[in-house]
This record gives sequence, structure tokens and C-alpha cells, in this order.
Amino acid sequence: MTFRWSRWSPQLALVPAGLVTLVAFIGAILWTVYLSLTRSRRLPEYEIDWSEWGRQYERLFKDSAWQISLQNLIVLGLGSALAIVFGFILAAMIDREKRGESIFRTVFLYPLAISLIVTGAAWRWMFNPELGVEHFIHSIGLTWVNASWLARPETAMYGVILASVWQSAGFYMALMLAGLKSINSEIWSAARLDGVGLFRLYTEIIIPMMKFTFVTCAILLSLGVIKAYDVIVAMTNGGPGQSTYVPAYFTIQALSAKGNLGFASAAAVVMLLITAVIFLPLVLLTAWQQRRSGART
Amino acid sequence: MTHLSIAQKALGAEVAVRSAPYFPRKKKAITGRSIAVIVFLSICALFFCVPLYVVITTSFKTMEQIREGAMFALPNVWTLEAWDHAWNSACSGTRCEGLKVGFWNSVYILIPSLILSIGLSIITGYALALWNVKWAGPFLFVLFICAFVPFQIIMFPLISMTAAMKVYGSIWGVAIIHAILAMPVLTLIFRNYYKDIPQEIMSAAVMDSGSFWKIFFEIILPMSGNILIVVLILQITSIWNDYLIGVTFGGLGGQPMTVNLANLITISTGTVRYNDNMAAALLTAIPPLVIYFFVGKLFVQGITAGAIKG
Repeated sequence: MTFRWSRWSPQLALVPAGLVTLVAFIGAILWTVYLSLTRSRRLPEYEIDWSEWGRQYERLFKDSAWQISLQNLIVLGLGSALAIVFGFILAAMIDREKRGESIFRTVFLYPLAISLIVTGAAWRWMFNPELGVEHFIHSIGLTWVNASWLARPETAMYGVILASVWQSAGFYMALMLAGLKSINSEIWSAARLDGVGLFRLYTEIIIPMMKFTFVTCAILLSLGVIKAYDVIVAMTNGGPGQSTYVPAYFTIQALSAKGNLGFASAAAVVMLLITAVIFLPLVLLTAWQQRRSGART
Repeated sequence: MTHLSIAQKALGAEVAVRSAPYFPRKKKAITGRSIAVIVFLSICALFFCVPLYVVITTSFKTMEQIREGAMFALPNVWTLEAWDHAWNSACSGTRCEGLKVGFWNSVYILIPSLILSIGLSIITGYALALWNVKWAGPFLFVLFICAFVPFQIIMFPLISMTAAMKVYGSIWGVAIIHAILAMPVLTLIFRNYYKDIPQEIMSAAVMDSGSFWKIFFEIILPMSGNILIVVLILQITSIWNDYLIGVTFGGLGGQPMTVNLANLITISTGTVRYNDNMAAALLTAIPPLVIYFFVGKLFVQGITAGAIKG
């Protein structure tokens, strides 16, 4: 449809958004990519020495804190995946057992409403080495239990994972619940008539039917893990030592605390590449789904 | 499956033959499995509530009781002292004026951020969904990608730009950045909502000599109540809960409440007043929690729309 007399207003209305996209997103990304090739330290320098354009990346991958960050990214990703598993179990139970659905939903989802800084503050206090949960566990006689995870480099990431799972399990539960509700209810009666056991029903029928929900959850989780920053600041500030560094935290530290612009830019570019690797399947998935729903209607 | 009686099976068969939907979960008697499921869910719910319980009770305790170390005990004496400290005199950096500074900063950030982010994206979504604009498809695709770009890759350029615009380190700087970063996701949400508006309505509106803006304000905006409230709640909670943008662009004068809270809990000098910290955490959490408990459904709608469509 073409409306000649008002042809220009819609185009003009898109100018602000277009400018924002062009300048604040595309332009800014190119700017950072460019800076990552320079020797910029506290202030930007715009000369590229092409004989060693990759020196910031070289330094980055030799940096022990960056190596820890990448490791922690994987640990955090795998650990946080528990939130999807947990979310699915909760959703399946709530979906089958209708009693108390709204109460359980409300309780499981409330952590999502509060800031990760608050979440971090609460869990930081719970993990307090002198007065926290450990003190309580020791006081009831289980003195061999170590529960002050954040105080030790080996276990600090597990504390972060626990807080992340607590915060996000409800979100995955909500997504899974929506997925389960879209499943035809006759499947349950059909399975029941065929005498299919509950475990087999879920592993062989329900979960394969929900594979798109699972893939979506996995991608959202991965994107969330790359962005993890607030929870690290609030719980550990990267410590003890550098044991809870993640790429998002590393990059901002390199920029604000170390004032090393070229180096931070290189780290940011690697973050973008990791995002792209995760993001690509999402694009394909969405395209595929659109084609499928297009074929159906 | 073991608890299923033959009668139920027969009933199930009959219903299935009638091809009406059969809900096996709508049973009147509570089975053993039901009880087990409810018990398990209740234990999980308890686990979810433990941090909230600890934070609330700690915030009402005195420091003397906290030093005794009984984390899960109720306060011996319920006192509002910590709340008073957190609000009026807790330290954030070198300033010791409490979280009230951050609270008002957060409020002042919230209002322009909401107007800028929703205003920008509702118009863009409307134009993309209902008008025949050039490059709409590619533009939507680019927006979809922008929604996932990590903040770190555009952080320094945005700092430089806001500094050049003389808004860096102020409430306006934070608000502009919120509007920019929310634009892709919100535009996609609005566009997906508007694209379902029937063509006939638009054609009739244009016939009625409606211009782009007239149609927007007289027809589209009044139809947008549902989506506006969902987006509003999504934006209020995400702006209120934001830390990264606030700490990066707020400077010293425009720091939101979350930044004050983070400064307070990560402080490492002197004796730490845990009750103050927990009262401060609760003060920061109350506004979004109130929204959540009153309009939780809309909150969840917004969160899922923002996550999936974005």
C-alpha cells in the first residue's frame, strides 16, 4: 500500500531510530574494533601500526586474568544451565499439579524482579565466612562442612552460580510453563492409555516436543552469562584474587581501573565474537520457526 | 501411573473417543503423587524464600545480635535503626548521606528514561509495522542484532559521545543511554504488537485523510493500552535495577540507588554494619517488588516479550 500524500512522515519518523542504530550501535562497534588495533592506553590513539596490529589480542590471550575469565565463562554457563533443568522440573510439576499454581509461580519468579546487586548483597551476606550460613551449620554440629564458598578461590564461582540459578530459575520456569501449556492435552491421555510411564513420557515425548523452548532457553542463558557483571560486582568484585573474573568484568576493569583502552577494546571485540557465535543459531532458529509457522497458516 | 484406577482409564477412553479435551490432572481426590509433588514444590519455594527471610530479619536486628552469629534467628529486639541508617547516613564512597540520595537520583533517572525510550521506540515500531517504509525488513534485522550486542563493545564510544554532548556524568546522560540501549528491543515489541492491526483499519484511517501523526495519536495510541503498560513495567523495573549504565554514565552526581548499594556492600574499611547493608538492599528492592506483587502477570509478560522478541 502506498499513501502518496503522507509518504514522507513515516520515513522521517524513522530518522531518530536510524541515527541511533547507525551511530550508537554500528558506528560505536566499528570505533571499538578500530581502537582494539591501536596502541591506545588511557586516551585514544588513532594510528595503527600494521606490522603488529594484533598486539592487543596477543597480550589479551597471554593475560592470566583473561584466561581465568574465559574458564569462568564456561563454568558459569554450565553451572547456570542448572537453572534450565531446575526450571523445567518446576514447570512440569506445576503444570501437572494445578494446586497452588499461582502461589508457586509468584514465589519462584520474585527474584527476577529485584536488582542483581540486591541478589548479590543477600547472597554475599549468606556466604559471610564468620557470621553466615557456615556459622549456622557449624553450630548445629556439622563442623566439617565448608559453606563460605566466596572466601575461597576454588569455590567462589560456585557461590556465584548458586545466586545466578536462584535468580533465573523462575524465568526459565515461566518459559517452560508456556511451552508445556501449548502441548496438546490429549497427549497425556493418549500416553496414559498406551501405558507409557511418566519418565518415558517426559524424556521421549514431551522434551523432544519442546526442543525449541529448550534451545531458546539455552541461547538466552548463554547471552545472559556473557553479560554477567552486576552479580560479580555485588558478590565478589572479581575476588578472591582474580578467581571470579568473567569477560564482562574483565573488560570493564581493563577500561576503568587499568585505563587501558586498546586492551579493553580487544577484550570487548572478543566478547562480541562470542556473542555472535551463540547468536547465529538463534537467527537460524527464528528463521526456521517463521517458515514453519508460515507453512502452517 | 500406578495409582490410576481402571475406572479412570475407562473414563479417559470414553472422553478420548468423544474427542473432547481430557485433563487427567483435574482429579478430586489427592493422590500420593500429588502430595509428593506439592511437598517438593514447597521445599523449593522455601529455598527461594530463605534469602528474603534472612535479609528482612537481619535488617531489623541490632549489630550485637548479628555478632552472635545466629543467622536464621528472629530479631530479639525489632529495631528500625538500620533502616534509618541506610536511608539517612550510609556511606557511598566518601559521601555519607544515605541511600536517599540514590533513591531520588533513581527517580529522576527513571522519568526521562521512560519518556525517551518509550517515545522513541513506539514511533519507530508504529512506522515499521503499519507504513510502507523503505528498508523496513533490513532495518528490523539490524535492530534484532543490536538487541544482543554486549554493552562493553559500545561503552567507550558512548562515553566519548555523551562527553562531547556534555551530558556525561549526569542524570540526562544515564537517561539517554537507557533510551538508546532499550530502543532495539522495545521497537521490536511495539512492531510485533502493531503488525497484527488489520489493514482495513489503516486503510480506512488513511482514507479519512489521516496523516501519519494524526493516525498515531487518534487511533493507534488509544489502542496501545495493553502493550504500553507491559512495556512500562518492563522498563521501570529494568531501569530501576540497572547498575552498569548508572555506574558508567552517572558520574558522581547522577548515581542511581543500585550504585550506592553496591558501594555500601563492597566497602572494606571499618566495621561492616550488616544490618544497614540488608536494610539498604531491601530499600532498593522494594519498588520493583511492589510492582511485581501487584501486577506480576504483566511483569512476566514484559520480561518474556523482552527476552524472546529481543
